[in-house]
Amino acid sequence: MHELAIAQSIADAVTTRAIACKASRVKNVRLKVGEASGVVTDSLAFCFEMLASFDPLLEGARLVIDTVPHRARCRHCELEFAIADFVAQCPTCGEWSTEIVSGSELQILDMEIENP
Amino acid sequence: MPKVTIAQNILAVNDTVAQEIQQMLATRGIRTINVMSSPGAGKTTLLERTIERLRGELGIGVIEGDVETTADAERIEAAGAETVQINTRGACHLEAHMIRDALAQLELTRVNLLFIENIGNLVCPAAWNLGEDTRVVLTSTTEGDDKPAKYPHMFAASQVMVVNKLDLLPYVDYDLAKARRQALAINPRLRIFEVSCRTGAGLDEWCAWLTAFVHGDSNTVCKQSYSSAATARGT
Repeated sequence: MHELAIAQSIADAVTTRAIACKASRVKNVRLKVGEASGVVTDSLAFCFEMLASFDPLLEGARLVIDTVPHRARCRHCELEFAIADFVAQCPTCGEWSTEIVSGSELQILDMEIENP
Repeated sequence: MPKVTIAQNILAVNDTVAQEIQQMLATRGIRTINVMSSPGAGKTTLLERTIERLRGELGIGVIEGDVETTADAERIEAAGAETVQINTRGACHLEAHMIRDALAQLELTRVNLLFIENIGNLVCPAAWNLGEDTRVVLTSTTEGDDKPAKYPHMFAASQVMVVNKLDLLPYVDYDLAKARRQALAINPRLRIFEVSCRTGAGLDEWCAWLTAFVHGDSNTVCKQSYSSAATARGT
């Protein structure tokens, strides 16, 4: 999978922001990751911690991941429902015309830092 | 401990480069297709057959992605298209910056249809925007009819599905109706073509669709939307 590349993107974004804030150390980094984003959160955390261990600014930093469920809204009966296995068919009226409400998120929310 | 808000899409850097590529290609009137599949489904063969059929009417360019070797670029060049090879040396997908660098080496003056042949992989390439107008997922009868259900992310992220190796249907346990049903359950708007690159079956329909796509026929426009992708990712 591509978790290492994604972990590197997170490390880069966090480092840029930490330097701008004159931080001496980054602690927890909070992410929002959708169920349907294609990202394996355990692997992502493992890759990030490995990358962080090479950098004094990030050493010991941890990812705190909020998982967002894959959900859709039926355009016909307006029911909002959980999507299983990417099949977004309305469970009550059988309608295929649905709007994806959440699940593709891949966002860095915030981080805790230490200042010198 | 102080908390600092970041509120940034994790793939923001890739998406920004992809958007720049899409704008540059649009300015030049070039339509771009990202072709993805598992290894051995027939991406290069589909492009060879397509180039042979359309080279008289369209200017075709190809960015070839492979982990190693220039074998595929040589095949594409022999078929008559402008080609640049990217070797990722291990990476399992193409990223937008690789496309930006490859485009700098490609003679684009006569190109109006650009194919990006991604690394053979049904998982990772789905997550990376490359600046394409549309995404084609290629699958084949020898891989089994359960690919859409097993790799839903790829089929959800594509606009077109091509099923290759139709000529082998009598010899393999592949249920075409089941594959279609599964793919459409994941992505009801998926446009499906069934072809055999070996016999040429179905290639007329595929090439007619490509020609209309290049000429901007609204029925073929199934554009990758970067703004909506960004919204969905929470930026």
